[in-house]
Amino acid sequence: MPTVRLRDASEYPEPARRLFELSKRWFDYDFKEPPAMSRVMAWDPHFGGPHGRAMKRAMAPGEFSRGEKEMVAAAVSGANACTY
Amino acid sequence: MTGDDQWYEAAFVVGITNALNVVADGLAPTLPPLDAAAAGPEAAAVFAEARAFYGAADVPAPLAVVARDPAYLADLWGAVKRAFSERRLTRRHKTALAFAVSLTTRSTFGTAFHLADLRRLGVSESGVMEIVGVTQMFSSYTKIADTLQLTSDMADIAPADPSGVPDAGAG
Repeated sequence: MPTVRLRDASEYPEPARRLFELSKRWFDYDFKEPPAMSRVMAWDPHFGGPHGRAMKRAMAPGEFSRGEKEMVAAAVSGANACTY
Repeated sequence: MTGDDQWYEAAFVVGITNALNVVADGLAPTLPPLDAAAAGPEAAAVFAEARAFYGAADVPAPLAVVARDPAYLADLWGAVKRAFSERRLTRRHKTALAFAVSLTTRSTFGTAFHLADLRRLGVSESGVMEIVGVTQMFSSYTKIADTLQLTSDMADIAPADPSGVPDAGAG
């Protein structure tokens, strides 16, 4: 059970909702509600904005493909014992 | 080969990397690595194979530590070599996984060892920074998610799992 109430997408201001649309395109998936982490990051756009851009930059294909990086991310999450 | 093969390969790399790191970081300072002469002929043969596998002059420290039991060393090396051999996942990708996990678990040995191996395999500084970025960002992401005790909603985007194994994050 989350320690905070995750707001629905409709409770966020318009700029955040535009980011949710970008998130949907990034994941190429039509979520019923934006992923929990997207909604958490949108709580403070001054943190979530640069954090999200750094994340997108890190995950973009380069010498390693997006798929290879997703697997690295899964391994890092596993090593951090994170089930999210 | 099924779709799960690459995940099994990744899991074995992560597991055996951690196994090597715990010995190198935790034990090598008090139980020093043996050289080939001290380790005996059976261990020396493994050492030669490991040096060739990593294209290195030195035997990886954790192997040289456990060389006190040559039969155990041979089996451990068999697992290491199999885990890092190129199959569904490339050697380069497996080394990136090992580097990321070593960095995440703060392994001094593993981080330096796999970084050197990444470079040996032709990954540039820019490529190394890609893996550092993913490692760092997901080290942030996971701690934020855990602090807020979020449950996964990302399982929805995975293909349907026909195994019937319950997924705590589904839905």
